[in-house]
Amino acid sequence: MKKNSSLFFLFAGLILLILSFLLNVSLGSVSIPPGEILDGIFNGNWEKASREQIILNYRLPKALVAIFAGIGLSLSGLQMQTFFRNPLAGPFVLGISSGAGLGVALLMLAGSAFGFAAAGVGINPWAIVFAGTLGAGLVLVLVSLVAWRVRDSMTLLIVGLMFGSAVSAVVSVLSYFSGAEALKLFTVWSMGSLGGLGWTQVGVLGLVLLLGIVPVIFSVKSYNAMLMGEAYAQSMGINPNRLRWLMILSTGLLAGSITAFCGPIAFIGIAVPHLARMVWKTADHRVLFPASALIGAILLLLCDAMGQLPGSAQTLPINAVTSLIGAPVVIGLVLRKNFSKEF
Amino acid sequence: MANPAIIGKNLSLGYAKGKVRKEILSELAFQLFPGQLTCLLGPNGVGKSTLIKAILGQLKAWVGELVLDGKPIETYTHADLAKKLSVVLTEPFLPGNMTVGQLVALGRIPHTGWTGKLEASDLEAVEKALSATKILYLKEERLAEISDGQRQKAMIARALAQDGKIMILDEPTAHLDLVNRFEIMQLLREISKTQNKAILVVTHDLEIALETADQFWLLNCGTPLISGMPEELVISGQINQLLPGDQFRFNMERGRIEKIAEAGNWKIEGNPDLVFWVKKALEKAGVLGSELTIQVEENPFSVMVNGGNRFAELRELVDFLGAKSK
Repeated sequence: MKKNSSLFFLFAGLILLILSFLLNVSLGSVSIPPGEILDGIFNGNWEKASREQIILNYRLPKALVAIFAGIGLSLSGLQMQTFFRNPLAGPFVLGISSGAGLGVALLMLAGSAFGFAAAGVGINPWAIVFAGTLGAGLVLVLVSLVAWRVRDSMTLLIVGLMFGSAVSAVVSVLSYFSGAEALKLFTVWSMGSLGGLGWTQVGVLGLVLLLGIVPVIFSVKSYNAMLMGEAYAQSMGINPNRLRWLMILSTGLLAGSITAFCGPIAFIGIAVPHLARMVWKTADHRVLFPASALIGAILLLLCDAMGQLPGSAQTLPINAVTSLIGAPVVIGLVLRKNFSKEF
Repeated sequence: MANPAIIGKNLSLGYAKGKVRKEILSELAFQLFPGQLTCLLGPNGVGKSTLIKAILGQLKAWVGELVLDGKPIETYTHADLAKKLSVVLTEPFLPGNMTVGQLVALGRIPHTGWTGKLEASDLEAVEKALSATKILYLKEERLAEISDGQRQKAMIARALAQDGKIMILDEPTAHLDLVNRFEIMQLLREISKTQNKAILVVTHDLEIALETADQFWLLNCGTPLISGMPEELVISGQINQLLPGDQFRFNMERGRIEKIAEAGNWKIEGNPDLVFWVKKALEKAGVLGSELTIQVEENPFSVMVNGGNRFAELRELVDFLGAKSK
């Protein structure tokens, strides 16, 4: 693909992102026209104080979280797919989401399961984030220890998957023994949610996201070389070992923090890189990384908007929406295009 | 003669797992020259890949020294080595989305900055590599949509764009049809001459290698590496090192490997070119007639056995003799 058309698509994507952002913010239990929102944000003219409240303290943080999560998950997914040279790899193949799940499960369920504490009612959201981060971090450290010993990327992939299964099994045992209330709390967490985060938390998430993107920027060229496999990459002066550490660091920060704050969000990380490849028709990571980030953000904003169930106060869990709406889209694309050749 | 691009001195290579050390190759000595196409031949499992790994700097020699362009290989960093040496491996690869031009541009990775942006000199090198491999017309084609032979040429172009002194190719002609095999090897020969590259090709295609190589390296279990001009190795009979056991031998006149057959008591007369093939058919079929005289005639082709039976097709002759010997 020519450079100009790549840039054109990126520009179009940026406009689409802004539109999706406005749409996302304006939809909800009360729908507020985008014009009014812009007027309120830039000129401070709010029609009602309640609307200012809704927009500034609820919808804006949520939309930002959607953008952050979309970007982070897509970038993690693309890194994993290229590094493992596997189209089915996603941000969670190294067991990160299961690890975060275990942390949160221990926080919410363990008390109930072992009968020494009341069911986790009214748990501090920071505690959830902390537990999730700790769990994700723990699995990441274990995977890193393995990565240190084995040099083979396929082994690393299998070990990551096995860690994920083992950790999920522990979560199942905990769930089995815990009370109904705690279980419901955990189940709701595991369905994912973009909302309910305050500005401080959004700020922290944004910061971690930036930290997670830094290694990506420095390894764009290495990922291009990795398209040809580890041996070729090495022959071109790339150090696959260094890249492996950068990848573990980056996906750990990105996917780990997002899972800790929002719960596991399925589908985005695996599907978005494929969508980017299909739209931009390229394998060049200098294009694919920004493209995936854009598509990820747009997709998650739209999924969240659709999950608002316009006119009702209820929202669907984001994990269900991404899978329900996203999966058919991807299946359609995959069937229409020659998928295996595109990868 | 120019200075060798690679010198191996008294090399011993192998793998260690825990305390178990398994030596694969020992006391290797060789030189690879620029402007020459060198073919490395040897049976499966003899350690060709191990040798290649050592030359690529991925395996440290236990004993001995490997000198690359005047400096010991250990003194090179990954990045420096990438500027000296490029490879075409057997490993399957391919994002089908990539165009041939983009693939070849990947070869410039060691020369670009950290973003991988291609400068004018990089684009020029890509262009040059594409034209040297005669695939300029494929530049915008996607890898999924070209033939295996074209793809292999694209891989060679990528290695060429990396612009090192040395190119190493691991069985570049495997899976290719006959014409493509010849074409690729001729192409490599041409490149070694016109661009003064030292090219090392691992191959099992003895006949094509004989046609194209400037130098052979023969590797065999338990014997030191033999190097020399292909023709010289044929004359000295060392080429038979490739054929252990007494089943096969190298036919000097025909330049090919053949099965050693029990000589029959036949006397075959006629045009020597035709006699060769008649004899071959009889040997292959294993028909051992006693005291046969076979007359081969041209235009139209026919064979006569012992002055009596006449056959227009070899198949009939083989069937006849087969029935007779039972």
